[in-house]
Amino acid sequence: MENNNPLSPHIQVYRWHISSLVSISHRITGIINIVAITAVCVASLLLGETSYEFTKVFLQSVFGKFIILGLTWSFSFQILSEIRHLIMDMGYGFELKTTKITGLVVIIGSFLLTILIYLLGK
Amino acid sequence: MNNVTKKWVLLKVSSAILVPLMCWFIINFVGIFDKDYADVLGFFSTKSSKILFSLFLILAFFFSNLSISEVFEDYINDEKNKNAANKALQIFAIVVPLITIIIVFNLNI
Repeated sequence: MENNNPLSPHIQVYRWHISSLVSISHRITGIINIVAITAVCVASLLLGETSYEFTKVFLQSVFGKFIILGLTWSFSFQILSEIRHLIMDMGYGFELKTTKITGLVVIIGSFLLTILIYLLGK
Repeated sequence: MNNVTKKWVLLKVSSAILVPLMCWFIINFVGIFDKDYADVLGFFSTKSSKILFSLFLILAFFFSNLSISEVFEDYINDEKNKNAANKALQIFAIVVPLITIIIVFNLNI
């Protein structure tokens, strides 16, 4: 059967808004997170101790710590953006002004949550 | 309830459960990433960690499977390519968590 469903126009055709920035970032962080979860499974559990030691040395380097902070932000962003989506799914926050405010809350809040998670984890 | 509605409901239910599990995972990940191998295995060996991590893995891969298939729906027009991409995604979403969960439940410290 021929598929006549229209494809989404490429994101470049739209003028950027906070909502579109949050939306595309939500997708990108989602993919980063699932790759990170897979990497954690493979590096810490599937490949064994020798591989883990290599990963540990890498993660203790400056670049490694940057990766850890980046991942913490990625998860923080995903958590807040997911909560925003769930609230919108219940029918709240569709007004233009509210979407801008909640989008900003997600962006700024993700950095604050990153700090909080890092402090809680350490 | 049609299939698209079912998919949407499953996405929303899994995301609502995933939010606290993501918090649990990332806080613990930050806490153990620079620890020794024995400490990491020790963490994964407790009963609560085994259950929460397994639940987290199943839901994370299930959720990512559903949401990435939406991206394929949006941007891939060719049915053959889309089906192949979805099949590869489904296999990945089953194999990785399954193998990891089996290993986690067989850990003995």
